[in-house]
Amino acid sequence: MDLRDAEAERNMEPNHSECIYHMAVDIGGSLTKLVYFTKNNDHSDDESEAGVSCPVLKGRLNFKKFETSKIYDCLEFIKSMKLHLGGSQQQDGLERQITAIKATGGGAYKYADLFKERLGISLKKEDEMDCLVAGADFLLKVVRQEAFTYMDDQKQFVQIDQNDLHPYLLVNIGSGVGMYKVDGDGKFERVSGTSIGGGTFWGLGKLLTKCESFDDLLEQSSRGNNRAIDMLVGDIYGGMDYSKIGLSSTIIASSFGKVISDNKDLEDYKPEDIARSLLRMISNNIGQIAYLNALLFGLKRIFFAGFFIRSHPFTMDTLSAAVDFWSKGEAKAMFLKHEGFLGAMGAFMSSDKHGLQELLVKQQQNPNNMLCCD
Amino acid sequence: MASLAEDDQGQGASRIQNPEADDKKKKNSNMAPTSGNSIHRSSSRPQLDVSKAEIQGNFEEKHPTILLPNQSDDISHLALDLGGSLIKLVYFSRHENQSANDKRKKSMKERLGISNVNRRSYPILGGRLHFVKFETNKINECLDFIYSKQLHCGGLESHYSDNVADRNAIIKATGGGAYKFADLFKERLGVSIEKEDEMACLVSGANFLLKAIRHEAFTHMEGQKEFVQIDPNDLFPYLLVNIGSGVSMLKVDGDGKFERVSGTNVGGGTYWGLGRLLTKCKSFDELLELTQKGDNRAIDMLVGDIYGGMDYSKIGLSASTIASSFGKAISEKKELEDYRPEDISLSLLRMISYNIGQISYLNALRFGLKRIFFGGFFIRGHAYTMDTISFAVQFWSKGTAQAMFLRHEGFLGAFGAFMSYEKHGLDDLMVHQLVERFPMGAPYTGGKIHGPPLGDLNEKISWMEKFLQKGTEITAPVPMIPPGTTGLGGFEVPLSKGSTLRPDASALNVGVLHLVPTLEVFPLLADPKMYEPNTIDLSDHNELEYWFTILSEHLPDLVDKAVASEGGTDDAKRRGDAFARAFSAHLARLMEEPAAYGKLGLANLLEMREECLREFQFVDAYRSIKQRENEASLAVLPDLLMELDSMDEETRLLALIEGVLAANIFDWGSRACVDLYHQGTIIEIYRMSRNKMQRPWRVDNFDDFKERMLGTGDRKPTPHRRALLFVDNSGADVVLGMLPLARELLRRGTEVVLVANSLPALNDVTAIELPDIVAEAAKHCDILRRAAEAGDLLVDAMISPSNSSKESSTSVPLMVVENGCGSPCIDLRQVSSELAAAAKDADLIILEGMGRALHTNLNARFNCDALKLAMVKNQRLAEKLVKGKIYDCICKYEPAN
Repeated sequence: MDLRDAEAERNMEPNHSECIYHMAVDIGGSLTKLVYFTKNNDHSDDESEAGVSCPVLKGRLNFKKFETSKIYDCLEFIKSMKLHLGGSQQQDGLERQITAIKATGGGAYKYADLFKERLGISLKKEDEMDCLVAGADFLLKVVRQEAFTYMDDQKQFVQIDQNDLHPYLLVNIGSGVGMYKVDGDGKFERVSGTSIGGGTFWGLGKLLTKCESFDDLLEQSSRGNNRAIDMLVGDIYGGMDYSKIGLSSTIIASSFGKVISDNKDLEDYKPEDIARSLLRMISNNIGQIAYLNALLFGLKRIFFAGFFIRSHPFTMDTLSAAVDFWSKGEAKAMFLKHEGFLGAMGAFMSSDKHGLQELLVKQQQNPNNMLCCD
Repeated sequence: MASLAEDDQGQGASRIQNPEADDKKKKNSNMAPTSGNSIHRSSSRPQLDVSKAEIQGNFEEKHPTILLPNQSDDISHLALDLGGSLIKLVYFSRHENQSANDKRKKSMKERLGISNVNRRSYPILGGRLHFVKFETNKINECLDFIYSKQLHCGGLESHYSDNVADRNAIIKATGGGAYKFADLFKERLGVSIEKEDEMACLVSGANFLLKAIRHEAFTHMEGQKEFVQIDPNDLFPYLLVNIGSGVSMLKVDGDGKFERVSGTNVGGGTYWGLGRLLTKCKSFDELLELTQKGDNRAIDMLVGDIYGGMDYSKIGLSASTIASSFGKAISEKKELEDYRPEDISLSLLRMISYNIGQISYLNALRFGLKRIFFGGFFIRGHAYTMDTISFAVQFWSKGTAQAMFLRHEGFLGAFGAFMSYEKHGLDDLMVHQLVERFPMGAPYTGGKIHGPPLGDLNEKISWMEKFLQKGTEITAPVPMIPPGTTGLGGFEVPLSKGSTLRPDASALNVGVLHLVPTLEVFPLLADPKMYEPNTIDLSDHNELEYWFTILSEHLPDLVDKAVASEGGTDDAKRRGDAFARAFSAHLARLMEEPAAYGKLGLANLLEMREECLREFQFVDAYRSIKQRENEASLAVLPDLLMELDSMDEETRLLALIEGVLAANIFDWGSRACVDLYHQGTIIEIYRMSRNKMQRPWRVDNFDDFKERMLGTGDRKPTPHRRALLFVDNSGADVVLGMLPLARELLRRGTEVVLVANSLPALNDVTAIELPDIVAEAAKHCDILRRAAEAGDLLVDAMISPSNSSKESSTSVPLMVVENGCGSPCIDLRQVSSELAAAAKDADLIILEGMGRALHTNLNARFNCDALKLAMVKNQRLAEKLVKGKIYDCICKYEPAN
């Protein structure tokens, strides 16, 4: 992306419009995601500890997460960054109270009053699915190395021709799982979903392991061994494969199935083993349902996104393995680098005053105009 | 069908010996042994002894009968499915092919040209298939059961001749335990277990049951069970989803043709495993039971939780939709102990059931399969589980697909293992050759047999008496909290109906399958596929309640009669009590769950009462009443015949039909009529009744019938070739009503076949009793005598033919055939082969009486002329069927198309 692109710059002139939506929020059931724009010169890098920021139009897109249960941290952050006062974006340097920002996610309803009260900002609710798809579409088109596959600990970026992006299946794994068939800009349909998602992992995990946080649970799972909990094909067939139907002995026949025959209590099992079994159960299941839907709708690509993944290697590995297994190697699971921020990004995009649309046009004219991450 | 009188427990099998088998032994000639040609899949015990085998009959026949005179009768008797929690047994018991009036039958067969119509390469043997369950941790009970019934060495028959089990004996088994318990079986019973592939067993079991049992498959939505009749020719392809510890999804394309297309590791083991960790339940059933009082809103994150109580209508998700299973456990500062185990269990059940339903549907869609059948231990007839699975399929398919379940779902594997015997003899079994019976035990224990096998009736009654207390507790409804709107995973709430849905409310009882190879579909049915015998559908609750009340009120009187018919001994009284309890228990069970034994019509209910009497060895409760009334009616018959003969043809025909209708008032099955009997003698009532006959009757096609019989003007129509007269009650009904009508037909040169019950039902006349009645009537009537002689009836009646037998050649015959059933009603899909054969030349059917012409068959269409005659002796039935009132008459004539 050529940051000095004249046209784009002109478009970003604050005078061009009175109010630039430079911030958007996605308030989910467990996480709140914030996307906000800062100018190049006015931003110290220490603020971008949230990880990813992209240089855009003489500025940066910043991505930040908070636990929804700690929504006050988020409000504090906005305050401290003066984002509700338009940050330091205004050229005249005057702080102007922003009256509304775009918001999505279930919490956009729930926390509307809080934002109003604390920050004086109304939340302009954008449809969650619209945001999700718009965010994914945008990121897949303009960010270089946004999509990647992950198999056997190997991350491999996939370059996607933006003219050959559609149709694809977008699997958003939040608390629950939504599956969307995306046919083009703004053209999509929720084709499926499952209630067994991130919330299930975290909810069941919390009940079973007493882990204090989602990340803790994820971390535990990477150290566990599910053989202690799951009934494997080998457990049933005396260590042998059930080759007649192509099941190898290490395939899970029944998640948590071994618990039935053990005469043990919950305390007798290692939390990390439980976390591992849970993660495999849920990832496998999502991978399977996603693949079946892609197959039914004739979709070549499946992108997985949502907070459940959190760039957690083992999660991505199991999802990929599930798709690989059920598709007999024909389909591949793909992931997005900004997986947690699709909704927030989409909300950001939902304003026509952010100037990013221009970027898409530019990029379409010259596919080399890709955004790069820091 | 006399075999039906036997008790199910198999003690009858000890008497064995098929008379036909004896015949074959005598007839065997010297055909070269062909043992070298026999192909065996395994060296399993049911080896064919083909020495001295001979092909019987015509060698050109497509499937000639092969006689195996040296093959013992120990057809494969037992197969097992040794699962992780349950052991399922399927075993076969032969029953004697007794026929009380063998001689008559034989001559009938010759006359009707029946010669081994049903024979196949392996003849289907009459017998019973029993389905029994044991808990795996009580495997010793199972071993005792097998031992006591000697199932491991070929059933009871060999028990007496040879008490030592065959060293090489093999039992087919499937399920994980087939390996685990192999040594135990060897040690305890001296038999080897031969392991059959699980999936193959599952599929062959499902295929057989779906084809052979009329109401095997059903749907289950919102607490409502509906049976689905599946055309055996249009069964494939289908998806079979077996939910065990894990879930396998099999695409079935035909017999032995199937493929595992998918599956999921989230199955019954996951439910039970996670449930155990989360709730400390000690058993799967306990965990399942908990769901009844659960509310998953405490645990699942619903769409409403996310959207502040609102629906997410854009994508059609309502507020009560489950967005995330267990999602609420995230945000709340609660420990595991703070959640109710009931809620946890329900959330788990829904999560897993929905998921299975969803993945199944996706696979069905992917392979273009119309039907999805769910089976496996996870289901266990549990209403809520079936509802959630059905809901998932319905939801994801937007109503285009339906989940179906199988009544014998727990037994698919065991049945498949049974079918894997080379010589199970069930290959070509047809729907109409199976009759399902529900002997005692079924209403209490859901088809399971607990405790020791019951050797005889005495033991059975003792067991019942002991069990009764417990059984009553089990049967009593347990109040429960209505589930309410408890949310779902991308799904709406399946509404569970009523507040008394018990965990096992839908537990389907599996009866004993009686194999009756001689049963056939009545050949004159116009459309056998569409035929439904019942006119009263008991799925209507009011209707059900009414008939249950009728039957209950009638019960004490019936018990008295039954006990008296057995001499009123103490033993008879004890059996009478047991019968009353058993039948009341059946009624209570059915009242609560009308579909418990499959689709329920009035005919089934009436038949069940007769079966229940037979189960407690009441052979014929109305014996003495029937005898008395036959005698009284026969005494007045000559006068009646004289009166009729004095009339002209036209008047006589009307008088005859009036007579049939009038005589039909004598019916011990009707309360109203029993009350009448106190008011006069038979002939008085008959005359009074006939005098009251005033046309037009409620349904009156008499003129059409008369025209067919007598023609109009000078045109005389050809008489019918052969008429089948389905008779009803003993006494006046048959003697003063149907016999004179038969006589008229005979006089016109129409052959007459009297069709009567094989077994007693109320005061209905049976095929065994008829020859004596006819013989008695023939003493005073030349027409009847000559026809009866021509039909060999007098031989059966043990009356030496009169000297004038030379004349017999001039008369058309009067014959008697049994109908193959022992019920006051008749299901024409299952009639005796004799009747089927007799029907082939018939061009007139006369159905008489409430049971056969009203309760059943009023709407049946035939390929020949049909006359349905009955007096409606029940107010409600009159209103319901013909919008009339009690004592209205039906004379429905339908000419052949």
